[in-house]
Amino acid sequence: MRTSILVNVCKMVIPFIQVFAVYVMLFGHISPGGGFSGGSILGASFIMYRYVYGREAANQRFPYSVLKVIASLSLVCYGAIKGTVFVLDFYHLEIFEVLKGTPGSMLSGGFILPLNILVGIIVSITFYLMVILFEEGELDESTNR
Amino acid sequence: MKKILATSVTIIFIGFLMLGVLEFPTFGSPDNLAYNEVAKTYIYDSMEATGAVNMVASMILDYRAFDTFIESSVIFTSLIAVIGVLKRGGTKYED
Repeated sequence: MRTSILVNVCKMVIPFIQVFAVYVMLFGHISPGGGFSGGSILGASFIMYRYVYGREAANQRFPYSVLKVIASLSLVCYGAIKGTVFVLDFYHLEIFEVLKGTPGSMLSGGFILPLNILVGIIVSITFYLMVILFEEGELDESTNR
Repeated sequence: MKKILATSVTIIFIGFLMLGVLEFPTFGSPDNLAYNEVAKTYIYDSMEATGAVNMVASMILDYRAFDTFIESSVIFTSLIAVIGVLKRGGTKYED
């Protein structure tokens, strides 16, 4: 399946897919989109990279040992950030103020923007690893530490 | 005998649950409990409360943020389950 047409077209298309995924994630609080949709687009680009360039190149670029740490840390960060805000709001502790910003600008909406990014990271890594496991039946042994 | 017993117990439970259906409000009537001030509050106040223009984003990541947290956890847990079933060559168990 690895013809030169496929490789060269994917070399041009994959950056656009990833930029669009990041756009959907970052502008989730302004326009339709958000973490789940942006993350699935990003995961699709990872999957495309792996299918076109082969498992060695993909394992070198997205090693499993790094991906699992990033996904777990994102989940922990999400829980920590939102849990802090909820607990402080519940007990009316005004230790810090959530910056709202101007509605409609890029940096607005308090914690919605970072939470969108974290959800996107989790979803993209999960989709990518899921597809590897179901398609190839295993993760690469050499990148297993 | 067993079948008759099971059928009658099922019918009794179905009838018991159908008693709750009788208490339902009329479909589409304007004084249902679902048409209260909550929706209006979200529509008119969500931008000042959260600072986000997209109302859906403010709903899923601010008012109902723990719901989204558990959704991500569900996806992550499913990944861990798939890894546990399908990943080869990881753990060596001693026998």
